[in-house]
Amino acid sequence: MDEILKIENLSKTYGSGRLAVEALKDINLTVNAGELVALLGPSGSGKTTMLLCISLILDPTGGKIRLDGETIYDQGWTAVDIRQVRLTKIGFIFQSRNLIPFLTALENVLLPLDLLGLERNEAHKHAMELLEYMEIAERAHYLPALLSGGEQQRVAIARALASAPKLVLADEPTGALDSVRGKKVMEMLKKIARENRTAVITVTHDVRMIEGFDRVYYLKDGLLNNRLEQS
Amino acid sequence: MDLAIRDIRQHLGRFLATVVGIGLLFAIVLSMNGIYRGFVFEGLSLIQNTNPDLWVVERYRGGPINEQSILPEFIHYSVAAIPGVDKASPFIVYPVERRIGKERRRFTIIGYDVFTGLGGPKKVSAGRPISQAHYEAVAHEKLGLRLGQKFHLGLHTYTVVGLTREGTSSDGEPLLYLALPDAQEVIFQPDNEEVRNQRLRIYQNLVKPGFFTPQEAGKYLSHYSIDTHRINAVLVRLSPGAKTEEVARRIEDYLYFSVFSTPEQVDIMLKGRLNRPRKQLLLFRILLLIVSVVIIAMVIFTLTLEKIRSIAVMKLIGAPNRVIIRLIMEQSILLTACSYLIGWIIIHNAYQMWPRLVLLTPGDDLATFGLALSGGIIASLLGIWRALKTPPALALGEQ
Repeated sequence: MDEILKIENLSKTYGSGRLAVEALKDINLTVNAGELVALLGPSGSGKTTMLLCISLILDPTGGKIRLDGETIYDQGWTAVDIRQVRLTKIGFIFQSRNLIPFLTALENVLLPLDLLGLERNEAHKHAMELLEYMEIAERAHYLPALLSGGEQQRVAIARALASAPKLVLADEPTGALDSVRGKKVMEMLKKIARENRTAVITVTHDVRMIEGFDRVYYLKDGLLNNRLEQS
Repeated sequence: MDLAIRDIRQHLGRFLATVVGIGLLFAIVLSMNGIYRGFVFEGLSLIQNTNPDLWVVERYRGGPINEQSILPEFIHYSVAAIPGVDKASPFIVYPVERRIGKERRRFTIIGYDVFTGLGGPKKVSAGRPISQAHYEAVAHEKLGLRLGQKFHLGLHTYTVVGLTREGTSSDGEPLLYLALPDAQEVIFQPDNEEVRNQRLRIYQNLVKPGFFTPQEAGKYLSHYSIDTHRINAVLVRLSPGAKTEEVARRIEDYLYFSVFSTPEQVDIMLKGRLNRPRKQLLLFRILLLIVSVVIIAMVIFTLTLEKIRSIAVMKLIGAPNRVIIRLIMEQSILLTACSYLIGWIIIHNAYQMWPRLVLLTPGDDLATFGLALSGGIIASLLGIWRALKTPPALALGEQ
């Protein structure tokens, strides 16, 4: 299997001295292309910190992250390199959807394509395809405020997929949805993992939503354990 | 994708309300430009409309417009005799407030020699210039007199033979042109009661013990008359080929007067009477412009704060800083440009309603636009700083 993400001995400590808090301790994790991985854990267990480290937002205190064959934070890495990796290799889905409120559904999906410098017509065609794939094309010209929670989340997934990322990071993607819409969103995530061979890491509280995931990890007090193979 | 336009599209109502608000402020800035230019234009218009080669005034005075200058009338004959002088003509300029018809009006009387024409109206818009030595007048249109209208002024009745629309006094008041003797009478002739008082004062001084007898004093007083043969300046037209500097020095040396060319008179006005009000207006213009820029900065900063989460999302998905800078700066420039346009439209349709001249010039409009635009760019810096400081983690709910 193609290895997309490899985390070795990752640690993150906030503060120093007596006030130091170890949020992540010696984390090791490998995620392959097309794999669905769930991270479970109580509040304060370090899930978001781990997601921020993988998102290249937070510098780890120790350890290594390899993304699509590249070691992140190698010597000589600049902010521009990190931004470029985020733009081209990682797709983000958030709990609160976080669509840009002044852009229509279509324009939200077009945004990363625009940032990638795609030609206008080509970008438009690709964005519409993604919205169709997410079964929301008929609402392409609606502003987010006019879409339901589930529809907004589907647009957010389409946006996350726009740059054809190798890895999708989803932070509580069903947190703001009812169970029916939540299940639908999870089905979409499974679909993109299977059909596009995109690795998906989902942080969630809701164990009902991770049915069919390849692996489930529990994070507690900064330690990743209880690895559970589901398939 | 133009993010700035799309953000404005969503908040169009608020954007338009802000544009109108700042537009009104720009209208005031532009009107202050016009008031400033109008003030300077009116302050200099009498000098520039009269435009002789030389102004001869009382020694050490910067008159007759910047300050008062009094000369005896006959002196223009001496000036005319100076080599290099083609014409020397007496000139009176005097601001008054008198009743014309039913209203009291402020205006400035210009008395000039109607035969040399120096100092008279530059151009008559209706009727003709004064051609008789007495009882004719040319009035500025702003005075509200009609051609052929008769009006009472001082001791006599005058007929309006011409109207002019060029030139005002340095205070922006309309001009009334009269022949020199008429102007002297209107301005310098005291009323009968004042003449009686003066005569009594002189009589009482003459009959003091050891001076004159009452009969001698009475004999002297019968020859006493009020002198109205005074002027404020002599206007000089030089002979062809004569050098301004040389002739001016000759008049100063031989006749002991002060002499200025028209550009020197302009300079005296700018550095003298117009100087402080001009600086005050300039300062007011600068302050208004700064206030506009501060308001734009605050509006842009508030708009930026409102979309700070969207900016965090953009940063998280990999938007480079230039995209975010462009978003904020473009909004600031659009806000400034649209506000300026509104202000420009308002003032260009309303400047005639101001009581004094508002002189709008394309140069001033363009310079203000340039400054406003630069201000708009500077105003966006606060918002840009805030946006660039925003951590992408904010999109994930992290601060």
